Amino acid sequence: MIYVKNLHKSYGKLEVLKGIDCHIREKEVVVVIGPSGSGKSTFLRCLNKLEEPTKGEIIIDGIPLNSEVNVNAIRREVGMVFQRFNLFPHMTAIQNITLAPVIVRNMNKAEAEKVAMELLAKVGLSDKAHEYPDHLSGGQQQRVAIARALAMKPKVMLFDETTSALDPEMVGEVLAVMKDLAREGMTMVAVTHEMGFAREVGDRVIFMDEGIIMEEGEPNEVFSNPKNARTQAFLSKIL
Amino acid sequence: MGLNWNAAIESIPVLNRAALLTLELTAGAVAIGVVIGLIMALGRLSKITILRGAAITYIDFFRGTPLLVQIFLVYFLIPKLLHWQELPDNYQYIAGIVAMGLNSGAYIAEIFRAGIQSIDRGQTEAARSLGMTHSQAMRHVILPQAFKRVIPPLGNEFIALLKDSSLLSIIAIEELFYSSKIIAGRTFQPIPMYIAAALYYLVMTQLISRWVAYMERRLGKNDIR
Repeated sequence: MIYVKNLHKSYGKLEVLKGIDCHIREKEVVVVIGPSGSGKSTFLRCLNKLEEPTKGEIIIDGIPLNSEVNVNAIRREVGMVFQRFNLFPHMTAIQNITLAPVIVRNMNKAEAEKVAMELLAKVGLSDKAHEYPDHLSGGQQQRVAIARALAMKPKVMLFDETTSALDPEMVGEVLAVMKDLAREGMTMVAVTHEMGFAREVGDRVIFMDEGIIMEEGEPNEVFSNPKNARTQAFLSKIL
Repeated sequence: MGLNWNAAIESIPVLNRAALLTLELTAGAVAIGVVIGLIMALGRLSKITILRGAAITYIDFFRGTPLLVQIFLVYFLIPKLLHWQELPDNYQYIAGIVAMGLNSGAYIAEIFRAGIQSIDRGQTEAARSLGMTHSQAMRHVILPQAFKRVIPPLGNEFIALLKDSSLLSIIAIEELFYSSKIIAGRTFQPIPMYIAAALYYLVMTQLISRWVAYMERRLGKNDIR
């Protein structure tokens, strides 16, 4: 589904990604962990070209991510959920969800609204369809943001620390939605600090540090028996 | 001091008409200014060097030269460019509105630019991540939010423009200042006439700022902040 070859990203002299190679299979749930500044968010943002890679190759669903034409085609297939929700504040929840299907996919409005209501029901917010983001809690906003990404019927979902900006009591409701998605067979790449989530639904854990993949494997294997000294040090601090 | 207010009181109907003309000139200039301002702001933020350069040149010129000079320049330049042999009736109104519109376009461009740039990067990223093109993101996500934010500075520009419209007296447009000056000269009562003019301007600028405050409240009703 996603092939990444020798991916490099530098900001001026600062090299953030120093050669990432990985292959993410269809329906696989990959959890990316690592200390802050390890390049994990940058890696994720390269996957839908919110960051321009300095070097290397990314192929998503057979389409190489190189020209501007391909970028918009790929972004339609790759949903992204952000740490800070980034809902459109001038639109209600349902308007947030229907905008892209209507203007990008040319779906008619009634159809898009029907899909949006189904998605809102799925994330447990049917009663909030006509609320503006400012009237929703952080957890509710993030669930709307997930529904908004899903409305494009993406083949892959990227989650960039989606629970890090939430109050602790709201983390669970967002993780529950992500777990449902994983069980339904969505291909997912999630950067997260939620080790419980990684253990429960992750098919694979990737540990990144200093811009490279230090270790990867099945969650239980990586968490209970980390081989790399860096992984050991990181896990001992957070578990 | 012994001021004679009769002249001012008798000229109220004339001043009313002149004030209305002032408002009309200003409204016309604002309409032109908003359109030019939006185009120039988008040009200024464009990745295309030529567009950006053109917008910067435009803004620098109109902000860097006096409005008075621009009014004369436009007044004499339009007939030349359009090869008019003689000036149409009421030509001074066209020249006046165009000159002020061109001028305010430069200021409004900077207001729009600041408004667009004040919108969080995450908004563009969210829009682009949903597959929207740059112009779709601009139109549906960024500009609606930016418009709301620029209402207060736009109101200030509207007020500044209304006051600056007094400069149009120089091309014999009988707006508020011009009319007051004529009557002051005829009646030898400059002080009451200019006090009257000042009061008219004050009432109009107050009305605009109230209206802007109202619009701001109305459009901000979805924000808790």
